Amino acid sequence: MPVVSNRVSAALILVFSISGHAQRGGRGAPQPPATPRAAARIDITGYWVSLVTEDWRYRQFTPPKGDYESVPLNPAGRMAADAWDPVKDEAAGEQCKAYGAAGLMRMPTRLHITWQDDRTLKLETDAGTQTRIFHFESAQAAGGDWQGVSVASWEYPRPPVYSSFGGLDFGFPPPPAPGGSLKVTTTKLRPGYLRKNGVPYGSGTVMTEYFDRFDVPGGETLLLVTTEVVDSEYLAQPFWTSTHFRKQNDASGWTPAPCLSR
Amino acid sequence: MPFTMRKQVRLGLLLAFIGGATALAQGPPPGAFAIDITGYWTPALHEDGLERGNGPEIADYGGFALNEAGRLFALSYDPSRLTLRHHQCDGYVMPYQMRAVGNFRIWEDRDPHTQQLVAIHVWAQTTEGNRVIWMDGRPHPPAWAPHSFTGFSTGQFIGNALVIRTTHLKQGWLRRNGSPESDQATVVEFFVRHGDHLIDTTVVTDPVYLTEPEVRSNDYVRQPADPHAWLYACDDGEEITGRAPDVVPNYPLGNQPFAKEYSERYKLPLIASLAGAESIYPGFAAKAGNATEAEAVAKLQPVPNQRPETSRAQDPEPHDGEIHVLPIREQVYMLVGDGGNIVVQTGDQGAFVVDSGEGKLSDKVIAAIRQLSGKPIQFLANTSARAAHVGGNSKLGAAGSDPSLPGSFFDLQSPGRATGLLADPAHHATLIAHNNVVVRLQAAKAPPDAMPADTYLEERRRKFHNGELIELFYEPNAVTDGDSIVHFRRADVIAAGDIFNTTQYPFIDLQSGGTVQGEIRALNDILNQTGYEHDENGGTSVVPGHGYLSDEHEVAEYRDMVVIVRDRVRAMINAGATLEQVQAARVTADYDTRYGANDGAWTTGKFIEAVYRSLKQPAGKPK
Repeated sequence: MPVVSNRVSAALILVFSISGHAQRGGRGAPQPPATPRAAARIDITGYWVSLVTEDWRYRQFTPPKGDYESVPLNPAGRMAADAWDPVKDEAAGEQCKAYGAAGLMRMPTRLHITWQDDRTLKLETDAGTQTRIFHFESAQAAGGDWQGVSVASWEYPRPPVYSSFGGLDFGFPPPPAPGGSLKVTTTKLRPGYLRKNGVPYGSGTVMTEYFDRFDVPGGETLLLVTTEVVDSEYLAQPFWTSTHFRKQNDASGWTPAPCLSR
Repeated sequence: MPFTMRKQVRLGLLLAFIGGATALAQGPPPGAFAIDITGYWTPALHEDGLERGNGPEIADYGGFALNEAGRLFALSYDPSRLTLRHHQCDGYVMPYQMRAVGNFRIWEDRDPHTQQLVAIHVWAQTTEGNRVIWMDGRPHPPAWAPHSFTGFSTGQFIGNALVIRTTHLKQGWLRRNGSPESDQATVVEFFVRHGDHLIDTTVVTDPVYLTEPEVRSNDYVRQPADPHAWLYACDDGEEITGRAPDVVPNYPLGNQPFAKEYSERYKLPLIASLAGAESIYPGFAAKAGNATEAEAVAKLQPVPNQRPETSRAQDPEPHDGEIHVLPIREQVYMLVGDGGNIVVQTGDQGAFVVDSGEGKLSDKVIAAIRQLSGKPIQFLANTSARAAHVGGNSKLGAAGSDPSLPGSFFDLQSPGRATGLLADPAHHATLIAHNNVVVRLQAAKAPPDAMPADTYLEERRRKFHNGELIELFYEPNAVTDGDSIVHFRRADVIAAGDIFNTTQYPFIDLQSGGTVQGEIRALNDILNQTGYEHDENGGTSVVPGHGYLSDEHEVAEYRDMVVIVRDRVRAMINAGATLEQVQAARVTADYDTRYGANDGAWTTGKFIEAVYRSLKQPAGKPK
């Protein structure tokens, strides 16, 4: 027993010696919280153009009424979609119903993403001339408009409980994971359309998006926006899509256009 | 707690402390962070659900950057092609596999001693697609290595993604309506995981059929329990009886009868789904709406009177002045580097070699064979008299010997004195070929020691050698009038000679007795002898005259191509077209980016001419 204890002591001395060395080297000591902009794990700013390679017919053209293939609508959702009337939408000044947050990213569009300030990202689209604001701190906005209220955070793979040895925690923080994603949760939406032909989402919709940036070796840079739309009013289950954009060097092709209801 | 166990726990704690501290001090090595994608996953078909489930419609190519060749290939594709025996069980190429319906199971393979991640396996329920993603840093195989439906994948963790590169894919489809993906396609994938949602973004680069990379993504939802039903057996059978063996269902080029169905059903401009890369970007709807009917109809046929496109395929030849050995199966090898491919079988007896290459690197070929076999070359068979396959006959023959001859009847009767070909056959490999090879070589005034002395005239020549039955089958009037295929029965390897290659259109040498009908018959003869391991993958290996090691899937695709081109030329001949009119019609437009050439020994024009003339004037006996 004494032998083992001596070994443990020696090890602890070694451990803390290494740990202390590491901390003096600039790691471990608590740093003042960086701004979200400074803490960005990926850079998604710039101009991006959508690549409409999936759901092509539904996104490039306005599908016929009642064509809601692939969208897990519940009976209420189907009934609402079957009642789509673009003339009525125009008369009500609601041409932008398909350009709300839950439909906007599926539009053939260009994105312009910039930092509005150190704690707020701004995403603009030329399709429908819309602007989404991603707040990195809880937003107090009332919402109720097409883009609702979006709260953002940087996400990266990390376990809910860190352990270097089977559930035991020795007080060492996990090594930082490289890369990451931008997570955006959007609520308080004005009811709109998932697709231009009146496939609906309701005011209680919660939309969670992850923005991932991929640098294709020797090639282009892509932005993947993975979206989960949860809407108990019109959807039987969460609606998942993943939408791609290619990085542009500049604003080429940026053509702001008004919303079109059909 | 027994003392020993306490000791182990304490030792473990020690290691954990030290390991953790060391990691902290050093930080994670770059790219070492690994996301976990293992488990059971079900695809969420919330995008393209209709085409991925029930199936797509003809002429629905919207969102694909298909070039002219890709579009025309798809328009000519008849789904009835799947009734052919050699397509009934076609697997899915990897990018389509990952998009298919059916569950997926993903697991890791770790070295038991080091716990290093060796590979990630992906099992797809549909077609039993079995992917291996190598994580141990191994290189990709050379260009002459076999292709498969899953391809060869290597991966690494970059940022929060698993990034995978895949090469060596077979020909398949981007969409189940014939939208093609060629065997030259390569794929980069990014797997990311957000909770129980896994996303695989695929970037397909295909120089043959795409004008720009095709980006799509597949979403999967984690399943907490084994969904079972992982098997998907397929055996081919007779779906249509009595059909002639040279029938491959296809729609005439430029005359797809259902081309407008899709646009009419959904009230889209006809050009919309035919426009290629343009259809992917914002603003396309307006452009499509402004297109004229004539512009749209023009997309349904080849641009006439245009110089043929040329192959964008990777050249599988190493061109490095070296001979490269690719083990195939058992003791059979493929040697690459001296023009035509060479096959070597080794064993207790001397080496049995098929073809001798161009002869520019014969010394290195001989050296390579000596590395494989402790015995000299005993037999050298030629698949034809073409220069790329007999060029090394003299040197390889001289480097060999045939110990079966001394003391035999032939030794007493034939050497030198009788034939004048060989002074001492026992000290020279015995050269074997169809008799017409000798006729052609004599006509070409080849040296006597390059002449096969052991010839045959009719269907086949058999030899049991190195414990294996080796059969030569005569394929009359295929690319020449002296073609043989050589089947190593135990290893199940077929040397096809120039009847099949992966680099160009078949070199149908009219002057040497080649015909398109004979070529089709020969390709079908190969297919009559092959078998696949699973879903048209693996099984019998087929060594092409030129190109990468193949199996029956590549032969079937090649056969389809020759038949389809034959059909188009024959239809034009029946309509009274001249050769010039056939060539102007670009009847190979959907295959030129894969096999075409405008210069060199074998151009697209010469191939079309060979098809045309052999249909107009069926071959007679060899001159």
